[in-house]
Amino acid sequence: MVRRFDDEDDDVEEEEYEDEEEQLLDDEDYDVDEDVGRGRGGSSKKRGRSDFIDDLAEEDDEEDEDDDDEDYGGGGGRGKRHKAPRDGSQFFDLEAQVDSDEEEEEDEGEDGFIVENGADIPDEDIGRRMHRRPLPLREDEQEDVEALERSIQARYARSSHAEYDEETTDVEQQALLPSVRDPKLWMVKCAIGRERETAVCLMQKYIDRVSDLQIRSVIALDHLKNYIYIEADKEAHVREAIKGQRNIFGAKIMLVPIREMTDVLSVESKAIDLSRDTWVRMKLGTYKGDLAQVVDVDNVRQRVTVKLIPRIDLQALANKLEGREVPKKKAFVPPPRLMNVDEARELHIRVEHRRDQLTGDYFHYIGPMMFRDGFLYKTVSMKSISAQNIKPTFDELEKFRTPSVKGEGEMVGLSTLFANRKKGHFMKGDAVIVIKGDLKNLKGWVEKVEEENVHIRPEMKGLPKTLAVNEKELCKYFEPGNHVKVVTGTKEGATGMVVKVEQHVLIILSDTTKEHIRVFSDDVVESSEVTTGVTKIGDYELHDLVLLDNNSFGVIIRIEREAFQVLKGVPERPEVSLVKLREIKCKLEKKFDVQDRYRNTVSVKDVVRILEGSCKGKQGPVEHIYKGVLFVYDRHHLEHAGFICAKAGSCCVVGGSRSNGDRNDSFSKIGNFKTPSRVPPSPRRFSRGGPPFDSAGGRHRGGRGGHDALVGITVKVRQGPYKGYRGRVVDIKGQSVRVELESQMKVVTVDRNFVSDNVVVSTPYRDTSRYGMGSETPMRSSRTPLHPYMTPMRDPGATPIHDGMRTPMRDRAWNPYAPMSPPRDNWEEGNPASWGTSPQYQPGSPPSRAYEAPTPGSGWASTPGGSYSEAGTPRDSGSAYANAPSPYMPSTPSGQPMTPSSGPYIPGTPGGQPMTPGTGLDAMSPVIGPESEGPWFMPDILVSVNKSGEETHGVILEVLPDGSCKVALGSNGSGDTVIALPSEMETVPPKKSDKIKIMGGSLRGLTGKLIGVDGTDGIVRIDDSLDVKILDLVILAKLP
Amino acid sequence: MRSAPAQIPTSFGHELRACLRFRLVKTYDQFRESGCENCPFFKMDEDNERVVDCTTPNFNGIISVMDPSRSWAARWLRIGRFVPGCYTLAVSEALPEELQNMCEEVHVQYVPPKRV
Repeated sequence: MVRRFDDEDDDVEEEEYEDEEEQLLDDEDYDVDEDVGRGRGGSSKKRGRSDFIDDLAEEDDEEDEDDDDEDYGGGGGRGKRHKAPRDGSQFFDLEAQVDSDEEEEEDEGEDGFIVENGADIPDEDIGRRMHRRPLPLREDEQEDVEALERSIQARYARSSHAEYDEETTDVEQQALLPSVRDPKLWMVKCAIGRERETAVCLMQKYIDRVSDLQIRSVIALDHLKNYIYIEADKEAHVREAIKGQRNIFGAKIMLVPIREMTDVLSVESKAIDLSRDTWVRMKLGTYKGDLAQVVDVDNVRQRVTVKLIPRIDLQALANKLEGREVPKKKAFVPPPRLMNVDEARELHIRVEHRRDQLTGDYFHYIGPMMFRDGFLYKTVSMKSISAQNIKPTFDELEKFRTPSVKGEGEMVGLSTLFANRKKGHFMKGDAVIVIKGDLKNLKGWVEKVEEENVHIRPEMKGLPKTLAVNEKELCKYFEPGNHVKVVTGTKEGATGMVVKVEQHVLIILSDTTKEHIRVFSDDVVESSEVTTGVTKIGDYELHDLVLLDNNSFGVIIRIEREAFQVLKGVPERPEVSLVKLREIKCKLEKKFDVQDRYRNTVSVKDVVRILEGSCKGKQGPVEHIYKGVLFVYDRHHLEHAGFICAKAGSCCVVGGSRSNGDRNDSFSKIGNFKTPSRVPPSPRRFSRGGPPFDSAGGRHRGGRGGHDALVGITVKVRQGPYKGYRGRVVDIKGQSVRVELESQMKVVTVDRNFVSDNVVVSTPYRDTSRYGMGSETPMRSSRTPLHPYMTPMRDPGATPIHDGMRTPMRDRAWNPYAPMSPPRDNWEEGNPASWGTSPQYQPGSPPSRAYEAPTPGSGWASTPGGSYSEAGTPRDSGSAYANAPSPYMPSTPSGQPMTPSSGPYIPGTPGGQPMTPGTGLDAMSPVIGPESEGPWFMPDILVSVNKSGEETHGVILEVLPDGSCKVALGSNGSGDTVIALPSEMETVPPKKSDKIKIMGGSLRGLTGKLIGVDGTDGIVRIDDSLDVKILDLVILAKLP
Repeated sequence: MRSAPAQIPTSFGHELRACLRFRLVKTYDQFRESGCENCPFFKMDEDNERVVDCTTPNFNGIISVMDPSRSWAARWLRIGRFVPGCYTLAVSEALPEELQNMCEEVHVQYVPPKRV
């Protein structure tokens, strides 16, 4: 009776569990009990013990009772309920269960002979539930159908969620990670191609052997040939299972480390979405690699009908059809070409036009081949096409676009493209447009990206703040003027500006080639980065002058995959050839000078105008000179990356001054003197320029011809007795040059060819040049914003020079003509358009930094004082100057570097006249902060005026000669007019999409719109030209 | 035996299909004749057309689950509560909407496969 009681007890508990299920069956309780009695009769004693455990376990069960119930509800029974055969298996089950209970009591750890050894407690629970369940099942059979139905309904109604416990949130999945108590995975070698079969066979074996196999599962992965995994607790179990399997060989059983177990099972579900219109590629045969479009899918027969551009050799086909001998071996694969039915008929190929029974559409039939609109419709096995990661190129899609389905075709292409998008395609802030659904054409910005949905902030008012849109319905959106970078596809890496938007196709003006490229807007991200894609292969870079195999030469104007496009040095007509790397002999770096039509010397970087030929009238700096041929870069020339090849004799140097100046900064002043118009209108700037002119001019003005670029610059003697000496050119007479050597106080004459002007100047001289350059800034800055910036860069080396100053002789070193930076860069600096074109200017490489921040102002701003302090504190240099025999020293404690030269020379320089030592200093020295901006003030810009401690905004009306400005107060200039000193004003830094005016650089005075900010650079669209420029923010002033 | 195993596929080739809901793998004919052991409510055995809708030939990998409740792999794959049988690791297609609704009616949760 004890047993009986136990059982009842047990049953009561069970009823608690299952009352919902069993309420209908309550009246059959007796039967149930009887069943149980029968079932457990054989093991009554054990049962007694196990009940005790059972109760304990029950407690556990109760904790997650709900789960269990529901789990169970879905878990085992439903499918088999009707069929559950009334065999003896339940009894075995019970027995086994009880055994395991016993074992558990003893100690689970012991490897016993009893099967359930490895089972852990959760499993136990499941097992227990399993054996409890059969009770109602057996009832079912005796139940009338109606009751059964009701019971089922009741159950389903109750367990309305989590039926199969399949919510796969990541957290839940984490909880399922394998532990040491779980069965292990063993890797077993099996015959290739028999993996599935083996897995199925083992399953069959398991069924046949009625579970005396103790493996849990067998896994055959599609992507892993030659191996299957078997899940079991022990290697011995695996061995037992694979015994006698003919497809499994080798006794080697490898254990999969617990950490890798999940990897085995985490197969990427092949997202084969072979629906209509999907783009696929053929895997086999003539069309291997060809793009095709799915027209129809037969999932049952595993066949797909695709639309292809036929590769049919009509002639061969005709021959074949007429029974003529066809060479067995195909010599070539015919190129893809749309079928022309008329053409086929001309070759006496029988073309039938009839209806396809399946689709009802009309096709042209040639034998078994079906054509429509020139496309071949081919039914192939699903295995023979690949649908994954198909990225049709632009050209391919173009070909598929038949005129009749143009619009549709495009949308189709689009959606397939989207299917292959990478993760993280959209990023917060991207501008997007909805292309499908109710919200079609709604623009917005990405706010948040989830798995599939993208939350966008719609542009239109009156809509919710954010909308969730499926990413497939979104497309990136760009507007003309955006600067973008291509991130995928064949044009990957290129950057440029969007010039036109045609639906999802963008036309981009490439930064490198200045050519139009067409890309999918999907392949593009907005970026201010200016790169050129590949700009270098091997030693050769874009725009290098190279010597080719056949002794011809040319400029690299474009770099393609493994080849260069070279504009040959043939002046008569532009000749471009595609050159492989190995066909290039070497780079030509030597600098030559030639004479132009008027016998002026032309050097690299001189600006020339072309007087003859097809490019007559174009002008630009000379980039390369070789064998009397000039390569001129005219950025307005849209072909050949702006390069023009011309004979030296058909060009003339434009404004000799400019070329001189460009080559040699300090010399620019000459040009300026000659052409006063260039002098910037601002007296302030003028004054700033004063001293340097003096310093330079005082020395040389008299004798200089003005056109010879070499005079005044520092050269190195390359040959002859003075080889290795460095000095400054003081005069040129024909082929000989008089050089004042630096190390010996004497002037020597050397052959012009024996000197190289491309001196890498050592520190002290640099410093000199700094002053030189700085001092002449006003002129240059108006044109070449860069130089001032460069100045500070030199500074670290400054100190020595100050010392040098002490000796009267070294005074010369002050000469601004002295060593220059490598002269060649100047023009580029002055020519913002070229920033993007030459790799040197890419951000990141140290030298380019300078060019990137092309404004004097910024230069100063970014190295405030750094230069000077490194160069020696003012005091230091002061002392240095104190020793120098200069009269001005006392006047300007902080600005010494500037003043010394200016003092004496002032009288000589018209330009310098207005200048006072003080202003000169101010203008020059970075330390002086706000005043350094002074020179940039110009009418119309918005400034913040700080007069008598009060800060107000105002608009500059006029810049007065003394540097102060007439300012109309009020942020739109509507208030009173006051005169403000430069020190009292500051420009208002513009923000994105502000109207701006450019205060410095070659574009000074132009207005535009700030369309983006990248660090210290602003991206500006110039109003007049609509060009987009990257300029330092410092020279941009906000307009009211 | 805890529960009767599902039918075991009788071949291993192209005829194999996987139930979109329960990932059970059998041949087309088997599905047609006896449906899916896990989801009788789809009544595939009664409506042959249904077989095509409910099953897919595009699946990835096979796992023969002998002992679903005690197999870690089965639990990991969330098939631990199905009948023993041959399943696939993953299907990529989603159940047609009509059938999803059907699942809902019988309170079987359906989670469409995640897109890669």
